[in-house]
Amino acid sequence: MKLKSLNAITFEEEIYDNGQPCLVVFSRKNCHVCAEVVPMLEEAAENYIDSFGFFYVDVEDESDLFKRFSLRGVPQILFFNNGEYQGKLGGLLEEERVVEKIEEVRMG
Amino acid sequence: MSNIYDIVIIGGGPAGLSAGIYGGRAKLKTAILEKGTVGGMAATTREMVNYPGFKTSTGPELTKAMADHAREFGTEINKDEVKDIDLNGEIKVIKTKKGKEYQTRAIIIAVGSQPRLLNIPGEKEFRGDGVSYCATCDAECYEGLHVVVVGNGDAAIEEAMFITKYASKVTIIVIHDEGTLDCNKLSAEKAFKNDKIEFIWKSVVTEIKGENAVTGVTIKNLKTGIIQELQTDGVFIYVGMVPETGFLKGKVEMDERGYLSCNGLMETSVSGVYAAGDVRTKYLRQVSTAVGDGATAAVAAERYIAEQESFRNYVLNSDKPILMAFWDPVVQESLDLLSVLEKTVADHGDAVNLIKIDMSRTKMIAQKYNVSKVPTVLYLQGKDEFTVFDDENCIAKLDAFLKRNI
Ligand SMILES: Cc1cc2nc3c(=O)[nH]c(=O)nc-3n(C[C@H](O)[C@H](O)[C@H](O)COP(=O)(O)OP(=O)(O)OC[C@H]3O[C@@H](n4cnc5c(N)ncnc54)[C@H](O)[C@@H]3O)c2cc1C
Repeated sequence: MKLKSLNAITFEEEIYDNGQPCLVVFSRKNCHVCAEVVPMLEEAAENYIDSFGFFYVDVEDESDLFKRFSLRGVPQILFFNNGEYQGKLGGLLEEERVVEKIEEVRMG
Repeated sequence: MSNIYDIVIIGGGPAGLSAGIYGGRAKLKTAILEKGTVGGMAATTREMVNYPGFKTSTGPELTKAMADHAREFGTEINKDEVKDIDLNGEIKVIKTKKGKEYQTRAIIIAVGSQPRLLNIPGEKEFRGDGVSYCATCDAECYEGLHVVVVGNGDAAIEEAMFITKYASKVTIIVIHDEGTLDCNKLSAEKAFKNDKIEFIWKSVVTEIKGENAVTGVTIKNLKTGIIQELQTDGVFIYVGMVPETGFLKGKVEMDERGYLSCNGLMETSVSGVYAAGDVRTKYLRQVSTAVGDGATAAVAAERYIAEQESFRNYVLNSDKPILMAFWDPVVQESLDLLSVLEKTVADHGDAVNLIKIDMSRTKMIAQKYNVSKVPTVLYLQGKDEFTVFDDENCIAKLDAFLKRNI
């Protein structure tokens, strides 16, 4: 499942207004590790339709969003619930780590 | 159409894509399996200034053209990671992360290499939070900040220079004596002239420190033993590469660092399994040498498949018993034996088929029957049942044997 792309405006709507538990992956096109992590998320997303949001931010197109979170690189996965930041995972990751974190965020 | 592939290529970097072009062009059923970016390491290289004929290409451009080229010739490129392979049968089996199984006659391993880790405290913990192995990906995040680069080869120095576009200062930690860098001369000169770059010589980083993100590193001077703390916002590590061959341990021969050793035909220790590109033991690891390896491996695999095919047709489907003579043009004794054999077969009324196998060109069949010595003669009764004649009196013994059996 392709992840929904966010820009500065839709980011506000999805993360803060809707407030559903979700993750946002910050990524860029020519980053090798991103190219491994993003497909893994696309697969994981299949298991959470309606129960957990999966979003994508291209840091080249949306550099302001990227700067706002003072991130130190890509890929970075940020987690939110009710519009509140719940932590992040960076770099090369196993699916298990991500699923663990998703469950933690869902449980609140 | 059969589900058995002719060639499955593991890894879609320049080596794998080149092999895919040759495989597809030869009308072989060919698939490339790539776990990350099609284009491999080369797809993250911003500037490619030494690929013949393309003075100013970028890595992504060049590798995209290679991938399109391979697809046009009918090669599949599938996103998946190879987890395990079974090389025991003539048909080899590849298992992937997505749970798929590929059956194939030949395999080309083109998995390249990955950045080597320093394995120091803090490195894993802060990966993505100040520790990086990819300046292309992350340099931008260090606008106006201080960055440490560890390493002094081509990649380290060139990436350090790229990072100075953003960072206010770049400190390079070099293990060698003052003035000595492993990178090419041109890059070294440029780096020495760059006033944003500073060097700390004869030193190594022993720890990366921080809270939520990196705040500093511990540096040890190897000559004096003095340990100092250096404040920094990021650490880029370029200390060489390691091949991604863990899943091949115990299956394909490798050197102590994990690189696959192969001969000029790119054959590994297992027949029908080839290696190409950065993953093999070689002198120069570049795109131009990777594509050469890929071409060689694919053509060698094509020959191997053809040999197997003709072996099956002529030998296994023969209506008469088979006599296989293994010879080599440089072994005079084996040449002599061939003419004697021809006479022996004629003497027995051509009741057997004589097949001559040139060991200098074909290894697969010899391996199949465990033949290592020339000359050797095999009498094949059934598919897997055979009698070996390889000593000095073999002709006399064979003659007697044929009299008894035919
Ligand atoms: C910073 C930097 C700059 C460079 N600059 C240049 C340059 O200017 N010019 C030049 O010629 N060369 C350059 N190189 C070297 C060049 O990138 C490599 O020599 C080349 O990419 C090697 O190609 P390859 O196909 O052997 O391996 P790679 O490009 O490493 O490709 C291997 C592929 O296999 C995949 N893979 C690994 N394991 C599996 C698995 N189990 N299942 C599925 N897929 C797998 C990987 O994801 C990867 O995409 C540079 C390298 C670096 C690091």
